Amino acid sequence: MSNGNALEVKNLRKNFGELKAVQGINFDVRQGEIFSLLGPNGAGKSTTISMLSGLLAPAEGDALIMGHSIRSDATAARACLGVVPQDIALYPDLSARENMVFWGKMYGLRGAALKSRVDEILKVIGLVERQRDRVGTFSGGMKRRVNIGVALLHKPQVIIMDEPTVGIDPQSRRHILDNVKDLNAQGMTVLYTTHYMEEAQELSNHIAIMDQGKIVAYGTHDELIRLVGEQARIELTLNTEAGRVLDAWRTVEGVSRVSAEDGKATLLVNDSNRVLPRLFESANRCGARINGVDIQEPNLETVFLHLTGKALRD
Amino acid sequence: MKIFDIALKDLIRSLRNLFAIGMMLVAPILIVGLISMAFGGMNSGKVDLPELKVGVVNQDVPPAGLPSMGQAMVDLLNDPSVSSWLKPQAMPDETSARSAVDNQKIGLAVVIPAGFTASLLAGKGGSDLVLVQDPTLTVGPTVVKNMAGSLMDGVTGARLALGMVSQSPAADSKTLQNVSSQFQAWFTNFQRTLYHSPDTALAISAPAANGSTPASAAQNMMGLVMAGMMVFFAFYTGAYAMMSILREEEEGTLARLFTTPTGRTTILAGKFLAVFLMVIIQSLVLMGAGTVAFKIVWGAALPTALVVMAQVAAAGGLGVLLISLVKSSRQAGPVLGGALTGLGMLGGLFTVAVNMPAAFDMVTRATPQGWVMQGWRMVFTSGQMADVLVPCAVSIALGVVMFIIGARIFNRRFA
Repeated sequence: MSNGNALEVKNLRKNFGELKAVQGINFDVRQGEIFSLLGPNGAGKSTTISMLSGLLAPAEGDALIMGHSIRSDATAARACLGVVPQDIALYPDLSARENMVFWGKMYGLRGAALKSRVDEILKVIGLVERQRDRVGTFSGGMKRRVNIGVALLHKPQVIIMDEPTVGIDPQSRRHILDNVKDLNAQGMTVLYTTHYMEEAQELSNHIAIMDQGKIVAYGTHDELIRLVGEQARIELTLNTEAGRVLDAWRTVEGVSRVSAEDGKATLLVNDSNRVLPRLFESANRCGARINGVDIQEPNLETVFLHLTGKALRD
Repeated sequence: MKIFDIALKDLIRSLRNLFAIGMMLVAPILIVGLISMAFGGMNSGKVDLPELKVGVVNQDVPPAGLPSMGQAMVDLLNDPSVSSWLKPQAMPDETSARSAVDNQKIGLAVVIPAGFTASLLAGKGGSDLVLVQDPTLTVGPTVVKNMAGSLMDGVTGARLALGMVSQSPAADSKTLQNVSSQFQAWFTNFQRTLYHSPDTALAISAPAANGSTPASAAQNMMGLVMAGMMVFFAFYTGAYAMMSILREEEEGTLARLFTTPTGRTTILAGKFLAVFLMVIIQSLVLMGAGTVAFKIVWGAALPTALVVMAQVAAAGGLGVLLISLVKSSRQAGPVLGGALTGLGMLGGLFTVAVNMPAAFDMVTRATPQGWVMQGWRMVFTSGQMADVLVPCAVSIALGVVMFIIGARIFNRRFA
């Protein structure tokens, strides 16, 4: 693509009956970068991915993958794309090698080229010794490796990874994150969806925060943090119902946002050192006792809370 | 090429599924094998009877100067020609004979009453043979009953013939004895030949189908039974093979296929091809097994090939249609089981060896299975192309229609 974008999303929309799953989103992904779509469950990330990868037809809008429209030039667009689905999508009764050979054929690879590429990927994912074993006998981590390996067979220019670390152990998660960085280092553009803020922070050049089908913020990590200024996030645990105390805290100088859930109050404050004593005082006057305090410096979770009024993992 | 890759992948997965292999190949062969064992060596033309122990109570005392018909009965039961399966033993009285049957020490008791000879030769009733059998046995006792009946018929015939001879002016005791001996010799030989000779006195065979070797009625019946099972399981295979699309949907691999640069039409076509290939392979394996294991003669090549094609088309088409109406593989099991069994029954697949009423024949034509089975019937009876054309044409047409409807539903579902 001449403008340097691997992916351009233009006013993409998708409805499921009354539900507006994706409401006219726009973003661009530069070639060679890692771009994260960050948002809670139900934000519309997977629906967006499904439209980009050809699973769902958009109601409106379009996207260009390496210059190919997903609506008018879908086959070419999919040929440039590797997709790592959230759930393992492999044939359990075929061996690792058989799976790769089949999927390679589906991407148009044949003969000696297919064979050598399969050998290469098996080496990359570290499953050469187990290549003849059926995937159904593999551990979860091994299956994930094959799952990723399949997406790399045809050397895609863009790879989409849909929440690849959900439900796996920390070691495997670490392995996957390192893999993503390696792929990017080889020149691959990565579109990565997650609801883990720390993953988006660690991996991404650019992040789009999604909620309720819309992109509520977009930029680099630092740009997003600046949206909330120097505001810190304070979590306070009370011994009583928060009701009156919350009202009181909203009037405290330096407090910009207050919310409560499950007996915990979450506040965005300008200067935690100055504001905290005032919060204690205010709670005392209301007859409430603060049992726990947790102060977090500005991060994407804070940004999300600032923009949407709810926690990222709600 | 991708169509074949997808079809081959589905074939490999099916062939690695033990349950699928069991239902597609093992079950029909086992069922037909059981039926074949139950009917013994019908296909070889010989009937091997299971051993039968017979208790004989001979209370007959013939009138002076007359041969003992009771002893003739005993001699018949002890004849060398039946010694391979008939094991007679003398018993003192009817009570002990009945008790032996009740305790299953013997399978049949033959009680020859006193006065048997006299009443038989006089042509009067009143002293009939009493046969007491184990109710769980059928074939052996029936054969003995037929032997006894045959003897009594023979004696009656001889009595009538001798009666006529005796009225001749030239008849004397020597002539009568001569006639009697000749008749006895002929009758004994006839009995042996009727029941236990490789060249049976009475043979029933079906007319030879054009281009094939003549088959006995029993062989044709086995062929029809095998064909009925093959048709039933072919339709099962057609539906089961198509279930792969539901399984892939649940495994997530179908969605992944849709993200590749492989068109939906290609993906569905590959799956449909796998269905038809599975049914073809199954049909050929079962036909081969039928020939090797049960000596089934399938008939002339061209009509048989046409019926196999019709079977494949109908089974594949119905499979595609049925699965297109089902949402998940869990739902598919009971739906398919019920639908296919019901249609199989209505199609007459389980009553091939039974003469059903004409009205039932009409019912079978309402099902694709019924039309395919009709094709097989034509193969085994007339074997003429002209006779198989109509059922095959209808089967193929039904298959095509069902396939088109099912394919459209799938296209809309995965659009």
